[in-house]
Amino acid sequence: MTHTRRAFLGTASAAGLAAALPLRASAQDALQIALMVPSPAADVGWSRTLLDGTEAAAGAVGGEVTFLESISEGPDADRIMQRAVSNGARFVILGSFGYMNGGLQLARRFPDVSILHASGYQTAPNFSPFAAKYYQGTYLMGMAAAALSTSGKIGSVSAFAIPELITSINAFVLGAQAVNPEIECSVVWVNSWFDPASEREAAQALISQGCDVLFSNAQDTPSVISVAEEAGVYAFNLNSPMKSYAPEKYLGVVGTDWAPFFTAQAQAHVDGSFEGANHYLGMEDEVVYVSDWTPDIPADIKTRIDQTQAEIVSGAFNPMTGPLTDQSGTVRVEDGVTMTRDEIQAMDWHVAGVTTPLPN
Amino acid sequence: MRFELIRRDRASLEMALMAPVLALLAAGLVSWALFAAMGVPAGRALWTIAATPFSTWYDFSEVLVKTAPLLLIAQGLAIGFRARVFNIGAEGQLLIGAICASAIPVLLPSAGSPLLWVAMMALGMVGGAAWAAIAAFWRTRLNANEILVTLMLSLIAAQILTYLLLGPWKDPMGMNFPQTRMFQPGALLPGLLPGTRVNLSLLFGVAATIAAYVFMQRSVTGFRLIVTGTAPRAAGYAGVSAARGVWLSLLISGAAAGLAGAAEVAGPLGQLQRSISQGYGFAAIIVAYLGGLHPVGIAVSSLVMSAIYIGGDNAMVFADLPQSAVLVVQGLLLTFYLIAATFVRYRIAWTGTARA
Repeated sequence: MTHTRRAFLGTASAAGLAAALPLRASAQDALQIALMVPSPAADVGWSRTLLDGTEAAAGAVGGEVTFLESISEGPDADRIMQRAVSNGARFVILGSFGYMNGGLQLARRFPDVSILHASGYQTAPNFSPFAAKYYQGTYLMGMAAAALSTSGKIGSVSAFAIPELITSINAFVLGAQAVNPEIECSVVWVNSWFDPASEREAAQALISQGCDVLFSNAQDTPSVISVAEEAGVYAFNLNSPMKSYAPEKYLGVVGTDWAPFFTAQAQAHVDGSFEGANHYLGMEDEVVYVSDWTPDIPADIKTRIDQTQAEIVSGAFNPMTGPLTDQSGTVRVEDGVTMTRDEIQAMDWHVAGVTTPLPN
Repeated sequence: MRFELIRRDRASLEMALMAPVLALLAAGLVSWALFAAMGVPAGRALWTIAATPFSTWYDFSEVLVKTAPLLLIAQGLAIGFRARVFNIGAEGQLLIGAICASAIPVLLPSAGSPLLWVAMMALGMVGGAAWAAIAAFWRTRLNANEILVTLMLSLIAAQILTYLLLGPWKDPMGMNFPQTRMFQPGALLPGLLPGTRVNLSLLFGVAATIAAYVFMQRSVTGFRLIVTGTAPRAAGYAGVSAARGVWLSLLISGAAAGLAGAAEVAGPLGQLQRSISQGYGFAAIIVAYLGGLHPVGIAVSSLVMSAIYIGGDNAMVFADLPQSAVLVVQGLLLTFYLIAATFVRYRIAWTGTARA
């Protein structure tokens, strides 16, 4: 359950109101945590996993959650996050790249507030970007996809062409090429985190092009998954399992569990040890996981997937290791060289095998 | 039973003033029942929506930030609506205005003049007016319906924006995210009230209100416009050009929407990005009609409308209301107001029982 400061209005209106000032009184109360996301928290998807993680963190540190959903990126978001802080929130989780500039201003104005910001690249003493290494999971999904694809064509419906999503697609294709070097991948960018109609159309377009495994990349709706089920092609998605939308053709999920990370950060805030840092979290941190695999994957491939997964967790293998060639055929990462974390987080090129050019 | 709406001979002033109050009460009652059924403490939720926008200086300043574009666009639209020229595409003209204004800081990132914003506002107005002029051209040339043309031009404007943000105007440091670089200080509108986000665009809105009042209530051109709207034939006999009315209506409303768009990117946004307006172009249509298409009424309705928005957002922060419940309350308010406003001007006449 989410809770808000129910007592606030009574006291505030009685006091003639200095609500724009931070409420010092809340210091000895429970930690007020605010979570802001751009889409509604459905039963599944990005916003839901963030909310689950936030509530788990609140439970662990004895905090209360104010949940702010469907906040479009822009002046409204800036105002609402400011409002939440004025209302006592001291630990703020911003669930979209587009909240970055407003969040940074907020961090500067309120040094006693700790802010976690999804998918960004700016850091401040009380402002930490965080992101999941989805590519670890999408590589494994790519291996399964190549084994199940009969057409040799796979596709992805993707939200925005930012490095995080580009990397996920690249790893998906690299994993597929590990099983079938000839495989090709098409991408449709819908330029929205939450747009069921466009996602549906994009999925149908990919299927009509012959793609028989789809990757729903960073959508907060099960549209792609259900279109794939209707058309009888496999599909997987990120963040939370959507098997109920595709009982027959669900390939699996690259899930995220934010509870351990959010809890640790909220605890750090309470202890006064919160530090601004770039958190890039993967399977080794138990933030990224894969589950709900379809039983249709051939046994030998499934064994390879499990081995690869173990190597990723142990650090013995990194999918973003050369030789990596870009779409023009130029070698971008030499044989045996592993991309650095900064390179991965700034990846703005597709590997060979992705047939759609990047929007530039 | 059959009934029809008969126009009242005279709408009473008291009822006209009571209509919004009654609408507020009715919407409050239905929302109350709705919240109670949802298990949300209804009184506190409604109080949050209705009172918090005015309860602190910060909240009220944010109401003013939102009022500025609504006021500006609605004043422009109302002029056209009274001439029966229905510009439904203010959203598109706003986007084009924002794009044209952004051209200066995006293409000249090192320009250091502190008055860049003046040129940006001018470009925004020209851009918005030019976008609306397309509809005026087709309306006067081919009698193409301006409702459809302006509405569809909005979709084209949105695609142009997406193209620029994904392509030539993308921030080179922005990690491929569809947005431009942040504008330099000279490209930002001066603030109006220290410590708040209220900027010069509020004055644009106030100036537009005064100009609209003088134009519509006092000038011959304004009078001619109204006549072409209310009595097109009489206007024709009197030698008033209908085509001129179409051009004037669309150019004025387009320029106002373009200026609003320019003021948004040079104001609270500080960059060109995907979500510029939060639907101001469409909301302003409602604002214009809520204000009775009268400049003074619109000044009030734009303030009320933005207060409802701010109150709704606050209800999410303070009262645990989901976003969808907030939208329902806003919808109820508008619906009840339109019902009440209809009864001010019309009465129901029962014309007997149903016939077989």
